[in-house]
Amino acid sequence: MSKQNIKARAPTQLTGIYKADSIRDVAESLNITNLSDNVASALASDVEYRIHQVVEEAAKFMRHARRTTMTTADIDNALRVLNIEPLYGHTPHNPPTFRRALPFPNLQSAGSVYFVEDEEIDFDRVIREEKLTLPKGVSWTAHWLAVEGVQPLIPENPPAIPRDPDQDLKPGSPARPGTIFPPTPPSDGPHQAAKKAAQQQQQLVKQVLSRELQLYYTRLTSALLPTSGTADPAKRTAALASLRHDAGLQALLPYIVRWVGEGVVAALRGGVQTEADARVLEVFLDVIGALLDNPTLFVEPYLHQLLPPLLSVLLHSALPPAQSTHLRTAAAQTLAHLLTTYATTYPSLPPRVMKTLLLALLAQGRSAGTREGAVRGLVGVGREAVRKGLLEGGGARVVGAECAEGREGTWSIVDAVMDALRVLSPPSAQPMPLNPANEEDARAVAQLRDQLGDFFAQRLMDDAAWARGVLSGGES
Amino acid sequence: MSAATPAASTPEGVSPSAANTTTTSEPAYTSTSAIDKLVLDYLRSRGLKGAEEALKEAISATTEEQDVPKPPEPSISATAAIPPDELVKKLAVFTPKETKPGENAMKDTSNVLQELASMGNTTNIQNLIASIPSIGAEEILSLDPTDKHEGFRELEAWVEGSLDMYRPEFRPILFPIFCHFYLDLVQHGFKDAALDFHQTFSPSLSPVHHSTIHHMSTILLPIHVQTDEVAQRFRNEKYTIRMSRSGFSLLVGWLTEGVGGEATGAGEGFTGEKGKRGRSAIMRVVNNHLRFDVTTSPTTSVSPNSWEESTGFLTSVTPQANASIVTDPQAFNSSRGELKLGPAPLSEELRTETERVLREQAMIDRDPTAQYDPHYARQTTVPGLTSPSLSDLPPHPPTFKTVDVKREVEKVRDARKRIRLEPSALMSANLNTPQGAAARSRALPSICCYTLHDAGEGVPCCTFSQDTSLMAAGFSESYIRLWSLKGEKLKGYRSDFQSSSIRDASSLKKIREKGGSTTRKLIGHSGPVYSVAFDPVGGSASPPRYLLSASADATTRLWSLDTMTNVVAYRGHQNPIWDVQWSPMGIYFATASRDRTARLWSTDRTSALRVYAGHLGDVDCVQFHPNSLYLATGSSDWTARLWDVQRGSCVRVFIGHQGIVSTLAFSPDGRYLATAGEDLAINLWDLGSGKRIKKMAGHTASVYSLAFSAESSMLVSGGADWTVRCWDVKSSGGSASKARENGTLTNGTGATSMENGDRKEDSIETTDLLATFPTKRTPIIDVQFTSRNLCLVAGPYLSPETR
Repeated sequence: MSKQNIKARAPTQLTGIYKADSIRDVAESLNITNLSDNVASALASDVEYRIHQVVEEAAKFMRHARRTTMTTADIDNALRVLNIEPLYGHTPHNPPTFRRALPFPNLQSAGSVYFVEDEEIDFDRVIREEKLTLPKGVSWTAHWLAVEGVQPLIPENPPAIPRDPDQDLKPGSPARPGTIFPPTPPSDGPHQAAKKAAQQQQQLVKQVLSRELQLYYTRLTSALLPTSGTADPAKRTAALASLRHDAGLQALLPYIVRWVGEGVVAALRGGVQTEADARVLEVFLDVIGALLDNPTLFVEPYLHQLLPPLLSVLLHSALPPAQSTHLRTAAAQTLAHLLTTYATTYPSLPPRVMKTLLLALLAQGRSAGTREGAVRGLVGVGREAVRKGLLEGGGARVVGAECAEGREGTWSIVDAVMDALRVLSPPSAQPMPLNPANEEDARAVAQLRDQLGDFFAQRLMDDAAWARGVLSGGES
Repeated sequence: MSAATPAASTPEGVSPSAANTTTTSEPAYTSTSAIDKLVLDYLRSRGLKGAEEALKEAISATTEEQDVPKPPEPSISATAAIPPDELVKKLAVFTPKETKPGENAMKDTSNVLQELASMGNTTNIQNLIASIPSIGAEEILSLDPTDKHEGFRELEAWVEGSLDMYRPEFRPILFPIFCHFYLDLVQHGFKDAALDFHQTFSPSLSPVHHSTIHHMSTILLPIHVQTDEVAQRFRNEKYTIRMSRSGFSLLVGWLTEGVGGEATGAGEGFTGEKGKRGRSAIMRVVNNHLRFDVTTSPTTSVSPNSWEESTGFLTSVTPQANASIVTDPQAFNSSRGELKLGPAPLSEELRTETERVLREQAMIDRDPTAQYDPHYARQTTVPGLTSPSLSDLPPHPPTFKTVDVKREVEKVRDARKRIRLEPSALMSANLNTPQGAAARSRALPSICCYTLHDAGEGVPCCTFSQDTSLMAAGFSESYIRLWSLKGEKLKGYRSDFQSSSIRDASSLKKIREKGGSTTRKLIGHSGPVYSVAFDPVGGSASPPRYLLSASADATTRLWSLDTMTNVVAYRGHQNPIWDVQWSPMGIYFATASRDRTARLWSTDRTSALRVYAGHLGDVDCVQFHPNSLYLATGSSDWTARLWDVQRGSCVRVFIGHQGIVSTLAFSPDGRYLATAGEDLAINLWDLGSGKRIKKMAGHTASVYSLAFSAESSMLVSGGADWTVRCWDVKSSGGSASKARENGTLTNGTGATSMENGDRKEDSIETTDLLATFPTKRTPIIDVQFTSRNLCLVAGPYLSPETR
């Protein structure tokens, strides 16, 4: 049916659309194999003529329905007045979509094949999701299209467009008196739509940075990360100080945040190998810290943009060994700073960060670096997070098991875990080892092994008070 | 054939030299191969490679030893295997011509066949000749596909190469000849040649004759030619073309002698052999199917659009009056005599009563200056218009009612309070000055747009009641929806009451429905509702009491707005009804239907009172003249007609649209008719003379609705191009290619952007387009003026995602 629609819509299309091949296909489906070419082409011509007859009749119905697109209902009406049984089962509400099949490699001559798309409907989804609302029915609104010959500039009226030359051309082209039904009325072409879109975009970015701020931004970024030559530490310190204390930078905030985010991604993607790369990351961490420190900046809307670079630095698996601990510590501190500042106004923030960190800590196959970062991050989040991660979640056991295997470079993660445990409970000044002979101590040792794993239990056994503290911290 | 065609018009497409060789050599050759060779030679001399090759093949099939010379060039025609009978046909085209060059081919076909038969010895050839049916040579002559192609190319070249002053005159001749050639080719089974012909020449014609040419292109088999209506009209009726005397003699000269009109690049085609045969093919069509209306008026006085009025199948679309065949619509129009176009009279009693009421009101208002003469409300009678008397009107009840008085009183009041629209003021004023802005506001109307949302399948029609209290829309989903524009609740009556309990108005009020909303659905039709109309009796004073609707289910229904139910279904049409309109004074209404008739009905009878038959296509729209004496219909046969309501006879025919007439409107002063067609033009006609006053162009898609302002000075149109356009009725119009100082008033800011000199010359807007108001994706399906000259337009909003 929609095929016919297409035909009616393309008036310049010459005849011969209905091919003799189609007739032959139909004949074959009726078991007539010896259809001669003459018959087929004559039949094709006749079929085409009849289709046109129906379409011309349907066009009348379309015209009187004040539409410019033909629907299946028009065809049905046309068939009815031509005394032909209408085609049932085609509703204009749900026009079938014709899809083009992939080229059929075995039979090149078949040409392009179209088929009616048969959409699969998942009943579960329909039952679960779609709550059909009844349409509210036809309604009307009234507005002034013109007041004494002047079209008021109200939302109901199309925006006044200055008549430019190509605008003049547009109505000209479909307006040739011969073209009777332009498929879509020409007053709102794609040209105009594009123009409208551009206008909207302009409205979105109506806040324009002053020249001074732009200058400041370029100076700031070049002072922090000079594109060429070595960085001047004094300049950098000055820039960070300015960022930390100066007022009036709110307008720049989105740009700086984006700069940080992109810079971190670029640095990490390149694979942080050299010391210079590590320094770059350090600068970015400093910038984030400075932004958080600045009391005149309202950073909260940008937290979701600041967290990814921070966590990336924290949890990245392959930081250069020399700087990794330092970087991770710095990132963890910045994170801690961020969380302490905004946890009260943004209560769901710490749990979300913690979840990310726990995942990094506990998931299988993470590198030691990632786990170390996670542990340090947990320290930054707080005592409770450390308890959850290391004791309840079994983070210490996981790390301990890996350390016990004697992998390379585990000392830093051990350090990190020990630091974390120190956060849970401070070690005593005069360590007293646990006595396995003592029944109470033996129970504590068993508990330690149970919660922290053999590796760290071994380390804590030397300090009975600390071990008890850690355990009690874990229990409380 | 018209009398003006000269006698020396017999087709003469035969080369004497070829004929001579044939006649001289005929006795010499007796063998089969000689004849074959002869024919082959002849064919080659004519450049007919296809036929030549076909013949060769036929020959080689029978006589293998025959040595046939190879043609110099490779064959272009794809007639590798021609069945014998087709070969005979092809042969036959030329045989009559070679033997009897000078004579009318019509007579001697049989002679030629005999001659051929007597000399041929091969049984094969003999059989072929015998199988030639005894059809006229005319038929056979027209068989050759190539001479049509050539002939038309030359004709086109000749027309384009002719002098500028003749070209507009000659251009219309291309279209009928194109159609006839195409039909000839199809008729004789040259489908490919026909398609090729169509493809080659249709682009140059399609801008104007798009729909017909497209229809032609669908005709591909001989049986189609015999059954198709358009094709049969071309076959059986004469296509009229108007031409000046000098132009006509030029054409005749070219057809007979090939003189005149040097075409660029056409070269020797005009004088060559082929050219002659091509011209003879054209000549055949000219003789048999065209009728030239030779005028004495000089060529220069013909306006570029005038061919629209004088070209086409005028004979058939012009109604035939009293046995004498009238071929000229103008002659027909003038033969029908004067029309009574003046305003309808008021009965004496009604007028005195109205005056009394007005006087009383003036007393109450203490406004002695107020006009109370009801004639104030009437159109000032234009000199030259005859007013009908009361007895001329269709019968109405002799007594009048309160509602009539109220209506007449309100008319006077409306006339007093009306916004005056004077578009003529706009023409002289400079729009960039404050005075210009003031002129604008005086000239152009205020337009209130009612947009329908979520209309679903489409809204075929929409209308406002005259007092603007109600809006009705008919939907494709077979129902009608009413809205109260004043926010009142629309209530019907309950159905559970005893008729005996109704005694007075208050008890009637009791059985009114409770609740209700400001909108109401009227269900009854079983097909899309194509037209709705409120009864005009209340005028602008009181709300209408009835609504008429017409639908694809071939019924017209009358709905009572008191009970909100369907009261009557009028059956009679056999086909979908496209339009229904009330007569200006109620009681009567007219319908237009696909069955090619318009009918007049009275609300109290279920069968039609009059049937207006004569249109050759669907009657698409109908409208009463303001004095209800006449009825105008627009049709798919591209014409509009004016009928005498009571006599049922056609009194005027308006020919000039190049497409279906989709809507029409009478001016309130009764002098003009505006029609809009699918050719995107709006034509303004003078009813008295039946002549076209001007053509207004500017819409870029179908025009759906037209309305005149109350002073008849402005026409407003709305259409599928999502715009409302205002036209100056009184200005002369004309094409926009002339210098336009005023430009278009677009969006109210147009005044500043007017002096853009880079308007493309293909801009179709005529200068009388005063303003264009675009909407946001809303095709305007109804345009109406209230009695105080506020313009109301309505249309459904098309959301971009659904369509």
